[in-house]
Amino acid sequence: MTKKALSLTEFIALQQELQFETLHKHAVYVGKRKEGKQQILLFQLHGFYVEVFYEKYRENIDYLVTTDSTEILQPYLEQINIGGLEQKKG
Amino acid sequence: MTQSLPPKSLVLYADDDPDDIQLLSEAFQVYSNDLELMTFTDGMELLTFIETIDPFYVAPCLFILDINMPRLNGKETLRRLRRLDSFADVPAVLFSTSSLPADAAFAKNFNAGFVTKPLHTSQVHLIIDEIIEHCSDDVKRNIRRKNRNNN
Repeated sequence: MTKKALSLTEFIALQQELQFETLHKHAVYVGKRKEGKQQILLFQLHGFYVEVFYEKYRENIDYLVTTDSTEILQPYLEQINIGGLEQKKG
Repeated sequence: MTQSLPPKSLVLYADDDPDDIQLLSEAFQVYSNDLELMTFTDGMELLTFIETIDPFYVAPCLFILDINMPRLNGKETLRRLRRLDSFADVPAVLFSTSSLPADAAFAKNFNAGFVTKPLHTSQVHLIIDEIIEHCSDDVKRNIRRKNRNNN
């Protein structure tokens, strides 16, 4: 039996504990960033993205941000160091 | 009569994320009477360390390897560890933020466990228990005996 992929709307409708469990079991880690003292992890889940904002890293979750827009990737892409590639190109 | 303390079992953990290292170091404090957690920033550093130790004198009881690390990632570190006679049979766990079936299959191929990093507080101790479960029976027996004596 094939398991149906969860949609963004279905994920938002889940109870918080189920959202956490789904993320832990099925999401793919994309990246990590910091905003002041807050640590944020980005996951991809089926066709959408979930950002986890921590009050205390990997312990207390402050809130989640869910979207299917790839704009959420921008701050993570900015962290990728392409200095080496540019040097080779030059 | 003097009685020396039994040596602690050594757990070697490689991860490039200092926050994850801190999280696990704090969580392992509960087992600090039995287990000593040594941390490394990548697989290369861990392999360099084990080249310097005499396995008859200090034998690691468990390797915990983050998958995504610079220089030498967790999968390649595991592959190299399994080629070393002295450490080929030491329990190992691949530790990752994603629960990708391909990574779990890789771990199984190399006789290692696969554990997904915790997302929030209620998972932290469950995950530490899951990691400890990969230790040898002797190590687990020691931990359980001490826990019983403490309760």
